[in-house]
Amino acid sequence: MTDNVFRSDVRAFLTESLTPDIKRAGELMTSVFADFDATMEWHRILYAKGWVAPDWPEEHGGTGWTLSQRYIFQEECKLANAPALFAMGLQMLGPMLIRYGTAEQKNYYLPRMLSGEDVWCQGYSEPGAGSDLASLITAAVRDGDDYIINGSKIWTSYAQHSNKIFCLVRTSKEGKPQAGISFILVDMDTKGLSVEPIVGLDGTVEQCQVYFDDVRVPAANLVGAENQGWDVAKSLLEFERGGHNFTIDHKKQMAKIDHQASTQLSAGGGLWKDNPVFAAKVADVAVDALALEFTELRVKGAFEAGGNAGALSSLIKVMGTEIGQRFNELSLEIMAEHAFVKQLDALVPGFEGDAIGPSCGLTTMAEYINNRAATIYGGSAEIQRDIIAKRVLHL
Amino acid sequence: MFIEYSEEQNMLRDSAERYLRDNYSFESRQAAVKQARGFDADQWQTFAELGWLAMTFKEESDGFGGGALETMILCEQFGKYLVLEPYLESVVLVGGLVEAGAQPEIKQRYLSGLIAGERQGAFAYLEEGAVADPTYVQTTAESSADGFVLNGKKTVVLNGPEADCFIVSARTGAVGQDSSQGISLFFIHKDTPGLSFTQYKTYDGRSASELQLENVAVSDQALVGELHNGFATATPVFSRAMVAVCAEAVGAMDALLAATVDYTKQRKQFGQSISGFQVLRHRMVDMFMEIELTRSLLMATAWKLDNHAADAELCVAALKAKVGKAGRYVSHNAVQLHGGIGTTDEFSVGHYFKRLAVIGVMFGSRDSHLSRYSQLSTQLSVEPS
Ligand SMILES: Cc1cc2nc3c(=O)[nH]c(=O)nc-3n(C[C@H](O)[C@H](O)[C@H](O)COP(=O)(O)OP(=O)(O)OC[C@H]3O[C@@H](n4cnc5c(N)ncnc54)[C@H](O)[C@@H]3O)c2cc1C
Ligand SMILES: Cc1cc2nc3c(=O)[nH]c(=O)nc-3n(C[C@H](O)[C@H](O)[C@H](O)COP(=O)(O)OP(=O)(O)OC[C@H]3O[C@@H](n4cnc5c(N)ncnc54)[C@H](O)[C@@H]3O)c2cc1C
Repeated sequence: MTDNVFRSDVRAFLTESLTPDIKRAGELMTSVFADFDATMEWHRILYAKGWVAPDWPEEHGGTGWTLSQRYIFQEECKLANAPALFAMGLQMLGPMLIRYGTAEQKNYYLPRMLSGEDVWCQGYSEPGAGSDLASLITAAVRDGDDYIINGSKIWTSYAQHSNKIFCLVRTSKEGKPQAGISFILVDMDTKGLSVEPIVGLDGTVEQCQVYFDDVRVPAANLVGAENQGWDVAKSLLEFERGGHNFTIDHKKQMAKIDHQASTQLSAGGGLWKDNPVFAAKVADVAVDALALEFTELRVKGAFEAGGNAGALSSLIKVMGTEIGQRFNELSLEIMAEHAFVKQLDALVPGFEGDAIGPSCGLTTMAEYINNRAATIYGGSAEIQRDIIAKRVLHL
Repeated sequence: MFIEYSEEQNMLRDSAERYLRDNYSFESRQAAVKQARGFDADQWQTFAELGWLAMTFKEESDGFGGGALETMILCEQFGKYLVLEPYLESVVLVGGLVEAGAQPEIKQRYLSGLIAGERQGAFAYLEEGAVADPTYVQTTAESSADGFVLNGKKTVVLNGPEADCFIVSARTGAVGQDSSQGISLFFIHKDTPGLSFTQYKTYDGRSASELQLENVAVSDQALVGELHNGFATATPVFSRAMVAVCAEAVGAMDALLAATVDYTKQRKQFGQSISGFQVLRHRMVDMFMEIELTRSLLMATAWKLDNHAADAELCVAALKAKVGKAGRYVSHNAVQLHGGIGTTDEFSVGHYFKRLAVIGVMFGSRDSHLSRYSQLSTQLSVEPS
C-alpha cells in the first residue's frame, strides 16, 4: 500500500469514528493529557479497530505498519483532533515489558493494557529524587514471596485515574545507588496504598502524590531481576524521550496561531497576521520548528536503517519542548486579555453553556501555563543538555 | 538623572513593605482568592486608612498629591506580596479618570468614595476580538434630549464584579485621522437600567466581567473628558496604569528571584545544593540583571512622567516592552529552577508567574510597545527639543 492510500484510509476511519465529544476533548487539550473519559472511549474504539498500539510488535497486538505509516497515523490523528492516548502504558511500560517481562507478565498485562482495562501510571519521582532519580528511597523489603513497600512517589501523572502503577523501588543500599533499584508492578487497590491529588497552576489535577504504607506486592511482579531495575528504567526513559513526535504538535500549534492571527486585531487596527513585527516573530519560531522537523526525519531515517536516535533524542526533547513553549507565548500575545478568563467548565468536552470570549482563545492561558512543565518532566532541559554534553561532546 | 527619594517617599515604601510583610501572608492571600469577592475587604479598608488609596490624588481632591513615583513605590510592594485588592482598577484607572475628567456633579458624588475605598471602580474599554487596540470601539453613545444612550458590549472588565462605578468608552463620532478620535468616555453607575454582566474569575486569582449595554441612558453629566476626545483624558491615565503594573512586575520579579535563590540553596540533588550548578547560578544572575535593568527603566519612567519630560511616553513604551520580556524570563526560569514544585497551586512561585503572564500582555504586549517605541523615537528625533 502506498503511503497516500494509507493516509486516506486513516482519514476515512477518523472521519467515521471520531465522535464530536471525543474530538472536542482533543481540541480542548491544554497539556499532554485530554479529558479522561473521552480518551478512554477513543482508546476502546482504536482497540476494536486493532490500531491501539501501532508501535508494538505485531505478535503482541501491534499493527505491523512501517515507520512511515506509524508517523502518518500519528499525524492524521493529531490533525483530526483525536485525543492523545495515555502514554504510560502503551508507550512506556508496554515496550519495556515486551523486552524484559516474563511470559506470564506479558500474557497477563499486555492484553489488559491494549483493551484499556488497566490504566497505568509511572511511579519514579520522589520528593527527594527528581533529576537525581537514582537517589530514590522508597523501599521494597523481601518478605517470603512478597515485597513490602514503604515510601512515597510524587508528580505521578493521572494516578487518580489509574488502577496500576509501575515503580522504581530501593531493594539494596549496597554499592552505587543505581545498583540497588528494582522495577516493580503494583496494583493500586492494594491495602496501604493511597493517592493524594496535587492541584496544578491551571486549577486542575493532573499529578498526585502516592503513598505506600506497608504495601504488600507479590515478588512475581518484579520486572527484570532484583537490583536490575535501573537498566529496565533506562530503556524506558529512551522510549519516553524518543517516542514523541514534536513536529505534529508544532503544526497544530501553528495552525491555531494562524487562526488566532487571522481573526484578532492588533494595535493599529489590522489583523495580527498583517502586523510585520509579529509576523517576523512567528517566522522565527517556524524556522526553528522546520529545522526540528528535518531533524526528526533524520532520526526516523536512522531508525529505518536499523540505527537509533542516540543523543539526538535529547536534542529533540530540548528543542521540541522549547519551541512549543515559544508558540504558547505567541498565542498569549495575540489573545492577551481574552486569555485571562478562567472558565474551567468550558474546557470539559460536554460543556453546553456559552463560553466567554473568542473560542480560539479558550485554551490559550492553560496551555501556556501547563506547558512550562514540558521542560521539567521527562528529564529537564538542563539534564538533557548535560546528556548531550557528556554523550556527544564528551565533556 | 538620578532619583533621590524624598523622606516621605522612603517612609511610604518602608511602611508599605512593613505592613504587607506582617499582614499579607501568601496563605491569607490564597484564602481570599477562594472567597466570592476575590480579595479581602478588610485589607482594602486598611489600605484606605493607611492613606494609600488617597496617595496619588490631588490635594484639592483630599489626596496627598503624589505622582507616578508614589504609584510606583506602592505597586512595587503590591507586586512583591501578590496583593489582590483592586488598586489598579479602582484607584489608578477609575479614580484617575474621574479626577481628571468627570463633570463636577459626578466628581463630587463619587471621587471621595473612591479615595476612601467605599466605592469600587472598573474601566470598561476593551471589545471582543480587538483587545490589543483600545481604540477599536463599536459600542455607541448617541446623544439624546438630556444626555446619551449607550449600546454595545465590553469585554474583560477587570474588577467588574466588585465595581459600582464604571467608565465605559463608546463611539460618539466617526473615526478621524487618528483612530482614537470620535471616542468618548462615560461614567455609569452599576444600577443604571440596561446594564448586564457576566462575571468570572481570572487566572491570576482576580475577577472580571463581560458588560452588555442595552439602551443605557445617562445624563450629559456622565461624560468624562471631552466629547469625541476621551483619549486625551485616558492616555495619561493609561501611562500611569502602565507604571503601576510594571512596578508590580518588578516587585513580583524580586520576590521570584529571592524565592529561587533560597530554594536552590536548600534543594539537594546529586549530593549537593542545586545552586552549586553553574548553569543555574548564571541563570539566576541573568534573572537579576533583567530585574535591575527593568527597575532602572521603571524609576526613570516614573520620574519623567512626574516631570513632564518630552520623552516620558517613549519611556513608558520602553518600560512596558521591557517588562514583557523580563517578566517572562524571570518567571519562566523561577518555575524551571523549582522543578515540579514550581508547577503547583500550593506554592507561591506559580502565582507570581501567572500574575506576570497577565501583566506582560495587559495594556498591550511587548510587540505593541516595541512598535510604539519606534514610532515615538522617530517623532522625537525629528521634532526639535
Ligand atoms: C507535569 C509533570 C508531570 C510529571 N509526571 C511524572 C510521572 O508521571 N511520573 C514520575 O515519576 N514523575 C513525573 N514527573 C516528575 C518529573 O520527572 C520531575 O519533576 C523531574 O525529574 C525534575 O525533578 P524535580 O521536580 O524534583 O526537580 P529537581 O530535580 O529538584 O530540579 C530543580 C531544577 O534543578 C535543575 N537541576 C537538577 N540537577 C541539575 C544538574 N545536575 N545540573 C543542572 N541543573 C540541574 C533542574 O533542571 C531543575 O531546573 C512529572 C513532573 C511534572 C512537572
Ligand atoms: C582584546 C584583549 C585585550 C586584553 N588586554 C589585556 C591587558 O591589557 N592586560 C592583561 O593583563 N590581560 C589582557 N587580556 C587578557 C585577558 O584578561 C584574558 O584573556 C582573560 O583574563 C581570560 O583569560 P584567558 O584568555 O586565559 O582565557 P581562559 O581564562 O582560559 O578562559 C577561556 C574561557 O573559559 C571561560 N572560563 C574560565 N573560567 C571559568 C569559570 N570558572 N567558569 C565559567 N567559565 C570559565 C572564560 O569565560 C572563557 O570563555 C586581554 C585579552 C583580550 C582578548
